[in-house]
Amino acid sequence: MTMIHEHDFGTPASNKSEQVSLEIDGTSITVPADTSIMRAASMAGIDIPKLCSTDRLKAFGSCRLCVIQVDGRNGTPSSCTTPVADGMKVVTQSEKLDRLRKGVMELYLSDHPAECATGDECEVHGVAKKIGITTSRYAATTTHLDLAKDESNPYFTFDSTECIVCNRCVRACDEVQGTFALTIENRGFEARVSSSGTSFIESECVSCGACVQACPTGALTEKTLLTIGAPTSSVITTCAYCGVGCSFKAEMRGDKLVRMVPLKDGGANEGHSCVKGRFAYGYATHSDRITKPMIRNAITDPWKEVSWEEAISFAATGLKKIQAESGRNAIGGITSSRCTNEEVFVVQKMVRAAFANNNVDTCARVCHSPTGYGLGQAFGTSAGTQDFESVEHSDVIMLIGANPTSAHPVFASRMKKALRKGAQLIVVDPRVIALVRTPGVVAAHHLQLMPGTNVAVINALAHVIVTEGLAKKDFIDTRCEEKSFKEWEAFISLPENSPETLEASSRVPAEEIRKAARLFASAPNGSIYYGLGVTEHSQGSTMVMGIANLAMVTGNIGRKGVGVNPLRGQNNVQGSCDMGSFPHELPGYRHISNADTRKIFDDKWGVTLDAEPGMRIPNMFDAAIAGDYRGLYVQGEDIAQSDPNTSHVHAALRAMDMVIVQDLFLNETAKFAHVFLPGTSFLEKDGTFTNAERRINRVRPVMKSATGKSEYEVTCDLATAMGYPMSYSSGAEIMDEIAATTPTFAGVSFKKLDEVGSLQWPCNEANPEGTPTMHLETFMRGLGQFNRTPYVATDEKATRKFPLLLTTGRVLSQYNVGAQTRRTANNIWHTEDILDLHESDAQLRGIADGSWVKLSSRVGETIMRARITDEVPAGVVYTTFHFPESGANVITTDFSDWATNCPEYKVTAVEISPSAQGPGAMIETHIDGDVQLASIIRMINQIAANFPVSDAPEVKVAHHIVQFWTPVMIERLHKDVDKSLLSPIAVKALEVMLVTQ
Amino acid sequence: MKYSAWSQEAALDVLATLREEKGAVLMALQALQKEFGYVHQEDVALVANFFNNSRADVHGVLTFYHDLLTEPPTENQISVCVAEACQAVGSRKLEKDLKAKFGKEVHDGYCFGNCALGPSAMVNGAILGRASVDSIAKARV
Amino acid sequence: MKIYVPGDSAAISVGADEVAQAIAAKVNGATIIRNGSRGALWLEPMVEIETDKGRTAYGPVSVSDIDSLIAADFMHGGAHPLSLGESEKIEWLASQDRVTFKRVGIIDPLSLADYEAHGGLVGLRRAISINSAEIIEEVTQSGVRGRGGAGFPAGIKWKTVAGAVSDQKYICCNADEGDSGTFADRMLIEGDPFTLIEGMTIAAIAVGATQGIVYLRSEYPYAIKILQKAIDIAHAFGWLGSSILGSNFAFDLKIRVGAGSYVCGEETAMLESIEGKRGVVRAKPPLPALEGLFGKPTVINNVLTLSTIPAVMADGADAYKARGVGRSLGTQVFQLAGNIKRGGIVEKPFGISIEEVVNGYGGGTLTGEPIRAVQIGGPLGAYFGTDKFETSLDYESMLAAGGMLGHGGIVVFDDSVDLAQQARFAMAFCALESCGKCTPCRLGSTRGVETIDLIIQGVKVDENKKLLLDLCEVMTDGSLCAMGGLTPMPVKSAMINFPEDFTGEVSRR
Repeated sequence: MTMIHEHDFGTPASNKSEQVSLEIDGTSITVPADTSIMRAASMAGIDIPKLCSTDRLKAFGSCRLCVIQVDGRNGTPSSCTTPVADGMKVVTQSEKLDRLRKGVMELYLSDHPAECATGDECEVHGVAKKIGITTSRYAATTTHLDLAKDESNPYFTFDSTECIVCNRCVRACDEVQGTFALTIENRGFEARVSSSGTSFIESECVSCGACVQACPTGALTEKTLLTIGAPTSSVITTCAYCGVGCSFKAEMRGDKLVRMVPLKDGGANEGHSCVKGRFAYGYATHSDRITKPMIRNAITDPWKEVSWEEAISFAATGLKKIQAESGRNAIGGITSSRCTNEEVFVVQKMVRAAFANNNVDTCARVCHSPTGYGLGQAFGTSAGTQDFESVEHSDVIMLIGANPTSAHPVFASRMKKALRKGAQLIVVDPRVIALVRTPGVVAAHHLQLMPGTNVAVINALAHVIVTEGLAKKDFIDTRCEEKSFKEWEAFISLPENSPETLEASSRVPAEEIRKAARLFASAPNGSIYYGLGVTEHSQGSTMVMGIANLAMVTGNIGRKGVGVNPLRGQNNVQGSCDMGSFPHELPGYRHISNADTRKIFDDKWGVTLDAEPGMRIPNMFDAAIAGDYRGLYVQGEDIAQSDPNTSHVHAALRAMDMVIVQDLFLNETAKFAHVFLPGTSFLEKDGTFTNAERRINRVRPVMKSATGKSEYEVTCDLATAMGYPMSYSSGAEIMDEIAATTPTFAGVSFKKLDEVGSLQWPCNEANPEGTPTMHLETFMRGLGQFNRTPYVATDEKATRKFPLLLTTGRVLSQYNVGAQTRRTANNIWHTEDILDLHESDAQLRGIADGSWVKLSSRVGETIMRARITDEVPAGVVYTTFHFPESGANVITTDFSDWATNCPEYKVTAVEISPSAQGPGAMIETHIDGDVQLASIIRMINQIAANFPVSDAPEVKVAHHIVQFWTPVMIERLHKDVDKSLLSPIAVKALEVMLVTQ
Repeated sequence: MKYSAWSQEAALDVLATLREEKGAVLMALQALQKEFGYVHQEDVALVANFFNNSRADVHGVLTFYHDLLTEPPTENQISVCVAEACQAVGSRKLEKDLKAKFGKEVHDGYCFGNCALGPSAMVNGAILGRASVDSIAKARV
Repeated sequence: MKIYVPGDSAAISVGADEVAQAIAAKVNGATIIRNGSRGALWLEPMVEIETDKGRTAYGPVSVSDIDSLIAADFMHGGAHPLSLGESEKIEWLASQDRVTFKRVGIIDPLSLADYEAHGGLVGLRRAISINSAEIIEEVTQSGVRGRGGAGFPAGIKWKTVAGAVSDQKYICCNADEGDSGTFADRMLIEGDPFTLIEGMTIAAIAVGATQGIVYLRSEYPYAIKILQKAIDIAHAFGWLGSSILGSNFAFDLKIRVGAGSYVCGEETAMLESIEGKRGVVRAKPPLPALEGLFGKPTVINNVLTLSTIPAVMADGADAYKARGVGRSLGTQVFQLAGNIKRGGIVEKPFGISIEEVVNGYGGGTLTGEPIRAVQIGGPLGAYFGTDKFETSLDYESMLAAGGMLGHGGIVVFDDSVDLAQQARFAMAFCALESCGKCTPCRLGSTRGVETIDLIIQGVKVDENKKLLLDLCEVMTDGSLCAMGGLTPMPVKSAMINFPEDFTGEVSRR
C-alpha cells in the first residue's frame, strides 16, 4: 500500500460555463472564466509556490509566495487572487519573482522553527526547499518561537510557534465548517490564531478537524501524528457513524491507524468531517472489544470462551431445537444499519433461506421505517430524492424534526453554507435547535410546535398553499395523479386543516404558518430535510406523506435544489433497508407476496421463500412474551438499550431460549444472550455503506479482522450449520449477487465503485453512472400520488399525572447508545444524559439547574441531571439516550407509528421531581397480561384512524394489515380480539378481510 | 472621566440601541467602552450573542483596534502624538518626559490632525496644541 | 455684532474655546460664531470681527489679550499689535486659490443659510436636474482625481458603480485621515461639513446609491460632533432622507467612527471596519466598486475628493480643469506641518513647487534652524532634502522624483533630524499598524526595525543595508496593499537622499 495524495489546485473551481484561453509560461490552456491564474497554472501542470491558498477555501492572498507577472500589466500580483483573462500571457518564473519568493520565504523562516515536529507535514520547509532557500539572513531578535502549546483538545495540538498566520484554519472554520470559532487576535506582528482568547476546549470549537485539515504547518496537528509518527500508507474508506457517510483516507503507519483524513473527492463530504468521524475511531481498537466467541446455557451463567466452531454449533443446535419444538416461525434475526450492505444482505438471506421464514427486521424499524413507507406510497421508492450538494442550490430550506449540527454535522455545514449565501430557512421543531440562530444563520421562521403535532403543521402549511392559490398547477398537472390530487385538494382545503383551527393543537401561531407557507411556496427551489423528529411518532408515516404532498404541491421535485430528504441516523440505514431487511419485502423494496420477485431469489438460492410477511421487531417482542418466539440472532444493534419501553424489551429477551448477539462489545442486549459472536469494526470490513443520499461508498479493510473472521463469514457459518450452506469468498461476490437480483443495483460492482469512487442508486442500464437526483421526468411509480393525511392526535397525551412531554435526540459528541463514542475521548464534552427543561417548569417543581431529577412516565422511571434552558418551551423536556446508566428508554412507551411500528420516541408524557439520589436507579415496570393482543388492538385501531373517512377506509385498513402483518397476528385479530374494543372502521375492516380471504 | 457601573442589564441596554445597525460589532464595543470605561470580559459573549456572531469574531475585533480597552482606564488619559509631524517639534522627548511623570496615564497617539501646531496631545478627550509637560499637567483632572 | 472665533480643533488646541468664553463674558452684545479655521494655523486663535468693511482679523489671540483688544476697540477694527487687517487681504490667504476650501473659515459650519449664501447646494440642485450619465460625465471631464493619495479618476470609479446592478449601493467617504502631517479632511469637516454632505449626495444620485457612510477616525472627536450635527440639520431640512430636496432621490448618511487603526484608511480595510470586523485588507479583485460594503457596489472617495464635487457641479468641469498641470488638474489642498513657521492649509493648483509652499508660505522652520528634510505624502511618503525643492507638486512629478503626493501633507524637519531614526520609525509604525494579513508587511516591518537598528549600531552595516534594500523590494512588490507596499518609500528615500545617516557611525549630532 502507498500513500494517497490528493492534488491541491490552490483555489476552488469556477462554476462559470464561459471558457477563457490564456498562456502560462508559454503553455496554452483553456479554463472556465473566473478561474484563478494559480488554478489554471495547476491545471496546466505548473505548480506555483503557495502557503495560504488551498482549493477548499476562497483565495485570500496573504502569503505572497504565488506572485506572478502578466504581460502588459504592472506589478507582481498574487496568482491566487487574480482571475484569468482571455489572451493573457502569464509568467510564473523569472529572476524578479524568484527574488520576491525567496524574500518572502526568508521572512517566514525568520519566525519559524528550524525543524518542525511534524517533519514533512510542514509545508513551510517543503516550499522553502522548492524555491531554493533554507535559511534566513535576518537577526530576528523578536519571534513567536517561545509561545506555549495549547494541548487542551483531546485530539489535536495547537502550537503557535509553527503558525504562519495564513488564516487557513480561521477560514476553514468559517467557510467549510461554518462555526466561526477561530479568529486572529491582535494585529501586525502580534497577529496570532486564537480560539477567542481561551483554550480550544473552552472555545466554541466543535472539533470538526477542518482547521487541522487546512493547516499547512504543524501548528494544528493530530496528536496521534506526533505520538505514532508519519503515516506510510493510506486506504480510502467510509465513516461508520451517521447517515452522511463521509469518505476518509485512513492513514496508517505499519498496522497502526495514525489518523482519519477526510477525502476531498468524497462525494458526500468533499473533504469535510466532524468530531466523530475525524477523531472518535478509537473504540475500534478499544480494550473492551470482545474478539473471541462465547457461549452460556443460561443468562445467569458466566460466559465461556469457545472456538468459532463450538459457538456456531451451539447456536445452530439451539435454534434448530426451537424450530423443532415451536415451528419454523419461532426464530428470526435483526440486521444492523451499522453493518455493510453485504453483511445485511447475508443476514436477511440466512433468515429467509436457512431459517425458512421472513422474521427479519432491522434497526431502521426504530428510526426511518416511516420514510420507507411514506415515500414509497408517494413517489414509488423509499429514499431521499437528492444528493447532498443539492442543498447549495436551494432558495428556501424547510428543516423538520432534525438537528443536523449535532446529528449530521457535515451536512449541516453544507446547509449553513447555503444559508450564508442567502437561502432562507424554516425550522419546524419543538426545540430551539442551533440552526434557529447560530453565527451566520438566522431562521426566517421557527415553527415551534408541540411534540406530536407534526401532521397538524404540515397540513396547515399545505392548506395555506392550496387555499391561497399558491399551488404549482403545471407541475401537478403533468407529474401527479389527477384523482389523488383532487381528493387531497378537497381534503386539505377543509377548515379542519386551516392553521387557525390547528393552532390549538400545534400551538404554532396561524399567522406564522401562513408566512412560512407563502415563503416556501414562493421559492424557486424549495427543499425539505427531515429527521427522526418526523418519523418517530405515532403518525410518522402520515407525516412523511404530508412532506411528500408539500413538495409536490409546490413543484419541488425532480431537479437540483429541491426534494424530500430524510437525514438518516446511522451510516447504513438506507442500505440496510435497500437490502431487504424488512419482514415484508425483499431487496429493492419488493413485496414478499410478489411471486415474480420471489422466483428470482428462489432460483438463485435454491429455496422456496415464504410468501407471508414476517415479524417486525416489536412483534417479535410481543411473540416472545407470548412464548411463540424463542430464538433471535441480533447483529450490531443494542435493542435492550435503544428500543423503547425497556421493561417490555427486557421481558421479551428474558423469555427467549436462544439469543445470539453479534457485536463489538458486550452490550446491554448481551446480558440476555446465550451466544456472543464477536463482530468487526468498520476498519476491518470489506463492503459498502449506502448513505442518506443513496450513495454507495466502499468500506475497505484498513486492518485485519480482530476476530479472525469476516462478519458475513460468521453469518454464513451459522446458516450452514442450520442446514443451508452459504459461503462467499469476498464482499465483492456478495455485491454481485445483490446486483444480479436487485434491479436498482444492477450496475453496481466493487470494480465499478473502485473506478468511480461512489455511485448513487438506481444504478443500472438506464443510469450506468448512478442517479444523483431522482424523479427527473417521472416518478419511480409513474405519477406522483397525493395521500390524504388526517391529523390524529397521539394517545400519548400530557395528563395531570404526567403533565410534560418528553422528546429525545442526540448531541454532537456522542452517538446513539454511545457504544462507540463513550469509548473515546469524546466523553470530555458530554459525560451523561441531561434533562433539558424550561425555567417555568423547573420553578414550579423546585428544580435547580444542575440538580438531580427523577423522570417518570407510565412505563418507568429514571434519574438524571437537570439543565434549565430556553431551548425547550414550557411543557416540553428533552434528553438524549447515549448512556446506559440513565436509560432514557425506560421512560419511552410502546406507542408507535400506525403504519410501520416505528416507536414514538419523540413523545412521552412524563413528570419530573427533584431527586436526592444520583443515577443508577432505573425502575422498570412489570409486564403482564396478553401483551401481543393489546398491541394488536392498539395497532388496528390506530391504522383505522389514519385513513380518511371519506372513501371506504375499511378496504384500505384491511389491505394494509394483509400487507404487513404476520398470519399469526391476523389470526389472533379474528379469533381473540373483543370487537367492542375496536373502532367501527376496524370492525368493518375485519369483515372485509374475511370476505377477501 | 465618569463611567457607569457595569451590569449585564446595563450592557444589554447599550446594545439594544444598536439593534437595527448592520455590522454593529465594532460599534457595540465602542459604545460599551464609552458607557463603562472599557470592554468587560463578559461583554464578548454578550455582543456575540446579541448580534449573532461568534465569540471568536468579537474577540478578533476587540484585539484589533487600539482604542478598545480591556482594563479599566486610568483616571486621566493622556495621549501624546508621536507621529512624524510632532516628532519634528520634539514629541519624542515630550513623550519620554510625560511617561516619566505620569506613567501609565500616558499613551502613544498617532496624529490628531493638529500637525501644524505640534507637539499635540489629547488629555481626557480635549486636544492640546504646542503641548508641554506643564500644559498637559494643567489639563489633567 | 458678529465675532468669529474658530471652533476648529486646531484653534481650540491653542485656546480658542477660552478666548471665545472670555469675549462672551466681557463684550456686551457680541454674537460669537464658531466658524472653521481659515487655515492660517499659526495665527490661531484668529478672531474676526464683522465690520462694515468686511471682516477684520486679530491673531493669534490669547485670553490675556482680550482686555487690551477691548481697550483698542477691536470691535470696530481698532489698531492693536495683533491686528491682521482685513481678513480677505491677508496675503498668505489672499494668494491662495481656494476651490475645495472656499467656504472653510468663512461660514458658520452649521448654518445652512450661510452655506447657501456662499454658493452651497448649487451643485446638488444641478445634479438633481440632469441625469446620472451627465453628472458622471461632468465629473470625469473635470479631471478630479482621488485626493486620498491614489489619484484614481473619480469619474471612472463612479461610472463603474453606476453600471453595476444591485438592490443596494453605497457611498463611503474615507475620512480616516491617519497620515501624520495631514489635517485637511478634518478642517473641511469642522469648517464646512455641508460641502462633504453635498458631494456625497451628488455621488449617490450619480451612481444610484441610497446609503452613505462617513468613516471618521476617533482621533477627531470635534469633527464627529460637527458632522453629526450637520447631518441632522440636513435631514431636518429635507435634504437627506427619502426625498432629496423634494426630488425622487433618497439618501441617508451615517457616521461610523474608527477605533484606532491606521490601516483602516486603506479602502478595503475601511470597508471591513465599517462592517464591524477586524480592519483587515481584502484582496482585489473584486473591486469595491463592484463588491464593496456588505458585498454591494460602493463608491469610496476621500473627504477632499467628495468635497470638491459641489464646486465642479456648480462651476462646471472646465472651470476646474483650467487649473493644474498635465494630468494633475484642479487644486490640491496642501497641508504644511511639523517644524514650520507658518503652518496650515495652502490650497493651490497642482504644479506649485515644494520651495514655494515650504519656504514661501511656510516661511521656514519654527525653530529657525535650517530645513534638512521634508516628508511629503504622509508616513508612507518620501523624505526629500532641500535639493529637491524645485520639484513640482503634482502626482506625476512627485512620482518621477521618487516620492508621492499622497494626501498633500508636507512635514518639515530642521537639521536636528536623524533620518535613520525616521526610517526606523517608518518600519516601526508599519509593524504597529499593519493589519497582519500579508507576510511582507506583517513580518517584514519588524525585521525592518531590527535591521535598521543593527545599521544604527554599526553592526555589519553594508550587509544589513543590502538586506534592508532587499526587504524593501519584497515589501514594495510583495505586499497586499499600500501600507506594506509604501512603507519602504520613506526608508529608501532616507537611505538614498541622506546616506550620511546610515553609516553606522555615531549620529552627526
